[in-house]
Amino acid sequence: MITRDQIVHIAGMAKLKFTDEELDEFEEKFGQVMGFVEKIKEVDTENVEPTFTINDEEGTMKENGESQTLSREEVLENTVESQYGYFKILKVVE
Amino acid sequence: MDITSLKGWEMKERLLKKEISSTEILNAHLDVIDKMEKDLNAFITLDRDGAREAAKRVDEKLQRGESLGALAGLPVGLKDNILTKDLRTTCGSRMLENFNPPYDATVVKKIREADGVILGKTNMDEFAMGGSTETSYYGNTRNPKDLSRVPGGSSGGSAAAVAGHEAPLALGSDTGGSVRQPASFCGIVGMKPTYGIVSRYGVVPMSNSLDQIGVFGRDVKDAHMMLTSVSGYDPLDATSSKKADRDISIEGVDSLKGLRVALPEQYRNLRITGDEKIQERFRETVKVFEDAGAIIDYVSLPSLEYSLETYYIIMSSEVSTNLSRFDGIRFGYRTENYETLDELYTNSRTEAFGEETKRRIMLGTYSLSAGYQTENYKKALRVRTLIKQDYENAFRDHDVILSLTAPMLPFEIDSMINSPVDMYKADLYTVPVNLAGLCAISVPMGDVDGLPVGLQITGPRFGDSTILKAGLGYERVVR
Amino acid sequence: MAIKTLIGLEIHVELSTEKKMFCNCKNQYGADVNTLVCPVCLGLPGALPVIDKQAVEYALKAGLAFDCQIADTIRMDRKNYFYPDLTKGYQISQSDHPLCSGGYLEIEPEAGPKRITLDRIHIEEDTGKQLHTEDGTSLLDFNRSGVPLVEIVSNPDMNSAEEAKLFLEKLRNTLKYIGISDVRMEEGSLRCDININVVDEEKGVKTSVTEVKNLNSFRSAVKAIEYEEARHMKLLNEAEGNVKETRRWDEVAGETIIMRRKYTADDYRFANEADITPVPVDRNWIEEIRKSLPELPHAKKMRFMEEYSLSEYDAGVLTQSQELAHFFEETLEHVKDAKLLGNWMMGDVLRRLKDEDKDFEDMPISSGDLGELINLVKEEKINNNTGKKVLREMFETGKAPGDIVKEKGLIQISDEGELEKIVMETLNKNPQSIEDFKNGKDRAIGFLVGQIMKATKGKANPQLVNKLLTERIKER
Repeated sequence: MITRDQIVHIAGMAKLKFTDEELDEFEEKFGQVMGFVEKIKEVDTENVEPTFTINDEEGTMKENGESQTLSREEVLENTVESQYGYFKILKVVE
Repeated sequence: MDITSLKGWEMKERLLKKEISSTEILNAHLDVIDKMEKDLNAFITLDRDGAREAAKRVDEKLQRGESLGALAGLPVGLKDNILTKDLRTTCGSRMLENFNPPYDATVVKKIREADGVILGKTNMDEFAMGGSTETSYYGNTRNPKDLSRVPGGSSGGSAAAVAGHEAPLALGSDTGGSVRQPASFCGIVGMKPTYGIVSRYGVVPMSNSLDQIGVFGRDVKDAHMMLTSVSGYDPLDATSSKKADRDISIEGVDSLKGLRVALPEQYRNLRITGDEKIQERFRETVKVFEDAGAIIDYVSLPSLEYSLETYYIIMSSEVSTNLSRFDGIRFGYRTENYETLDELYTNSRTEAFGEETKRRIMLGTYSLSAGYQTENYKKALRVRTLIKQDYENAFRDHDVILSLTAPMLPFEIDSMINSPVDMYKADLYTVPVNLAGLCAISVPMGDVDGLPVGLQITGPRFGDSTILKAGLGYERVVR
Repeated sequence: MAIKTLIGLEIHVELSTEKKMFCNCKNQYGADVNTLVCPVCLGLPGALPVIDKQAVEYALKAGLAFDCQIADTIRMDRKNYFYPDLTKGYQISQSDHPLCSGGYLEIEPEAGPKRITLDRIHIEEDTGKQLHTEDGTSLLDFNRSGVPLVEIVSNPDMNSAEEAKLFLEKLRNTLKYIGISDVRMEEGSLRCDININVVDEEKGVKTSVTEVKNLNSFRSAVKAIEYEEARHMKLLNEAEGNVKETRRWDEVAGETIIMRRKYTADDYRFANEADITPVPVDRNWIEEIRKSLPELPHAKKMRFMEEYSLSEYDAGVLTQSQELAHFFEETLEHVKDAKLLGNWMMGDVLRRLKDEDKDFEDMPISSGDLGELINLVKEEKINNNTGKKVLREMFETGKAPGDIVKEKGLIQISDEGELEKIVMETLNKNPQSIEDFKNGKDRAIGFLVGQIMKATKGKANPQLVNKLLTERIKER
């Protein structure tokens, strides 16, 4: 059973905020996920390797690739605030 | 002649014969858009100027006698999770309301190189999460076949545009059926190619091991033309397949004779409330295949039973991390009220993301957090292997698998949005295809109660030619 | 001693590759703000990572240099957390399958040689940089976002600050030898975090591990360890302090300060990086890289001991840096006397560089010139003292030794006839010394030698002077 504290903790990790009603709903939704987990636990997966990528080929590495570097204007184009060529936000308190 | 009622390949034929120009083709479609858009709302952003310029360039090339690319001046709609340089890309979300990409997705580059004319960005469920295009920040899209109904989702805008004659061709993205299901709901062809055939560079990911760009067309030949213009190996995408440069040909075999068809045992007795007529239509279609010389067989794919759960766990885990980069710092919506860093992140994301998006991020975060990781996520990855293996076994002695695309008819707007459980069952037939990285195409198989129903033809990995040919064969038979 | 300090080090090394880890932006220092950024390292939607081959090659060099096992395939994972300098909200790193595992370094503390084992070496990407301004804002530059890093994690095999320092020096040296990084802690291309706790084996009590960050030099690392060691000893006695902490070293205050902890290991929610298809590590490629490695410090030291009959200590000093060892061998071709050269280098040359706080890389004298100088002394053209003077002059003016000797007329007087004359003159001037000598005071010779040196402005050949003096004085 998942507690309200745990739900709030998850929301904190996801950087999302919810009303009390919404948090209540999550209890049910997480319960649903737990239901999924219970269901697939039925399956015998002994000696079965997990599929991390569906592509069975060997991956390759890059060498001598074309640069995709943007101009500074393009880099800053979509931010709300910039200054002296930097992105700007309020100070991070350690 | 009503240009927009032609197939894309027919328009191209006439253009190459200089019977019509690209500008004329474009204008015909813009006229439809002017008439229909207020009802359909298939587009989030239209780029009339850009399209006109592109059409003009194609016409000039034609005049000069230069050869044209495979899309030869045809208008194309792009789902709004595909980045277009200097053309706003929103993913159907408030988070990207003003996002102006500084680069093109690889598929967009290819469309431009193929002389396609980009009309604009089509509507979608926010961040591709949904099956009805009802969660977009930019309003619902409606089904051209019945405006009181949904066009399906998440690529509902692209499907509606093609079905509503606003464009002959369109791209969507398919993570668990988001191209095939809208194709079924709108009565057109929609295909999800083998994972790795089409580059994902520049496509905003939902679930990166499941996503693939899909194509819409009014018939199989159009879908094929769209697919071959955008497929190919991309060194910028480390999940791109080296086999993607192989020819996806539809030459050769004309009929369904000798086609070895498999029907999953597990679907035989599967029932969703109210689907009797759809099941009946499916049975009739299987008979059509049989009568045309196909060999029908039943196969067992036992792990299909677990595909929905497996899909949800993997998909939401991947979604939760893929959406972490949306924080309002370098791009996207930034909240105006924050005093701490945490508030900057939390308020921006909470204010800008829709409900379904936030819900799935929460589920994924929960799924990945310690204590759950080993059980949830990794177990699902093992079941995924079993699903993959079941399909490999089935395809050893069979060419294609047939099934319904969607277990329901296009439903009324606002009727399902509050029953997510039913929505989740809607993905039943489509989801395992993404889990196994296979290819599948939905082709219309007529109407039931006046609404479109789709047939899903599934093939093995790199069997894209096979399913396209089977689709063509079926089209010919029913013509 | 029942109470033991356990120290493990976690080191991040910036690789000096041409391009970044997952994109083709240049990996460069000092560029204009936000001009080496692309959709991938900026974390724009839709951008995808591709592993850089040169970065893997450099990481493999490190793995081979430290005798690690190399993985069959490269698998990447996502480490999820939110921070403004982390563009994607996750770092692409390696969790379950590091590129290299195991391995070791050997250090030589006072108590005798010791092996420090490694847990792993893995590849990952660096973050951007944050500046804090006075008006309370943070400015972000992503030029360094995506730069390739290797993370080297040792096991807690070190038991003192001395051992940790030796480990860091050996590590740094080796990495410089193989040429994969500038490894300058002051510049940030080498970063070190410390994990430390204290165990009372007898009583079976131990303190919780403290992680210490923000170390800017080897010196800070030593001081931080010493500080923490003392703090942990106290905690051990106080039956509390069993919370795993992260602390920041404050150089000015000379103490560690607790940091507000935002993330536990659990919260990183490690997940497979599904955007990267695993890459096999070709065994042939590994062999090629192994062959391309330069002779490493330890092997070089052994060879110097054998080939040049140097003591372990001398060989150790002369191979402490690749530049120094190379210079030694180059100069040896001129001088052909390893012991002599060794003495000159370890003595006057290194001392001078140390006084000037310079690395051997900054040695202003060429091997040819040093060789020439030593030969002048060896061939007795100038004497030892003169040699040292000339060396000083070479450091200061950069002139060749031959030129300096010529300019200043420093050639040693070795002409017997000339010296004989001077000896006789000196003896004549110092009858008392002759008397002293005859009375058994050998010191008198030394005094007379001194006089002769003064008269010849230090240029007299000391051995000859001694010989002549001894002969002549006996005749008196």
